[in-house]
Amino acid sequence: MSRTVSGRRRRPPWAVALGLLGELLVTAGVLVGLFTAYSLWWTDVLADRQAGHQAGRLRQDWTAPGSGPTAPAGPGYQAGDGLGFLHVPAMGKDYQVLIKLGTTPEVLNQGVAGVYQAPYTSAMPWDRAGNFALAAHRDGHGAKFHDLDAVGKGDAIVVETRDRWYVYRVDATLAQTDKEDVGVVAPVPAEAGYTAPGRYITLTTCTPVYTSRFRMAVWGSLVRVDAVDAQRTPPPELRAG
Amino acid sequence: MYSWIWRHLPGNSLVRAVISLLLVIGAVYVLFQYVFPWLEPLLPFSDVTVDNGGGTG
Repeated sequence: MSRTVSGRRRRPPWAVALGLLGELLVTAGVLVGLFTAYSLWWTDVLADRQAGHQAGRLRQDWTAPGSGPTAPAGPGYQAGDGLGFLHVPAMGKDYQVLIKLGTTPEVLNQGVAGVYQAPYTSAMPWDRAGNFALAAHRDGHGAKFHDLDAVGKGDAIVVETRDRWYVYRVDATLAQTDKEDVGVVAPVPAEAGYTAPGRYITLTTCTPVYTSRFRMAVWGSLVRVDAVDAQRTPPPELRAG
Repeated sequence: MYSWIWRHLPGNSLVRAVISLLLVIGAVYVLFQYVFPWLEPLLPFSDVTVDNGGGTG
């Protein structure tokens, strides 16, 4: 063994340097590969676990005896609070995402859809007018809006709260816009063609996939509000195959 | 570099292989638990919100 070692040590310096360079390059390649796995797989695992846990807790809160069904779903939400679920059948039959207040990385990285608090404070679905604007990750951290480009005009978006199903219909989509285009989440998003105050919903994420270069948006307006019955029967939009 | 580490590990080849595997697992753990979470916000791959340039998301 020691003979082999001393034999190796007698390699010319350039060969040693070249060998070291090669090892460093291979190491760099492995690190990039690991970071990709981390970004696109591991953060999903963590976020899905966390979101699933929190979603279960919110549903438990809703059904817990003593938390009266008459509790107003009004103000009083804090950043980070879970306030309901987003259902978009166009992104999958059983697609369901927990909605939380705030769009900071701390909130969005939990695998939820975050409600914009800045630059505009979003209106809540139960408000008389305004835009309920949401953001979620396109890739990694749950990638809840990965298939947002599959949502088209006429598709249903349903927001589920403790007592209500808010059924929206998509009116317009924007495939790509600048990341500073805050008008897409304005109370009356003009780019969607809206001209008067109304009860709107906006979903935003980044595009193209695997980048953060641009943003995309999907706009809808409220069609109907259904009361939640004892069995939490979903509205027909969510039952259609 | 790696051959240097290998030569300095104790034991026979089997023991060295086991220790090497543990070292690799340890390195991946440190990367996933500490290094990548720190690195990720510094890279522009996970911004999804529209903002005025000052906000994050």
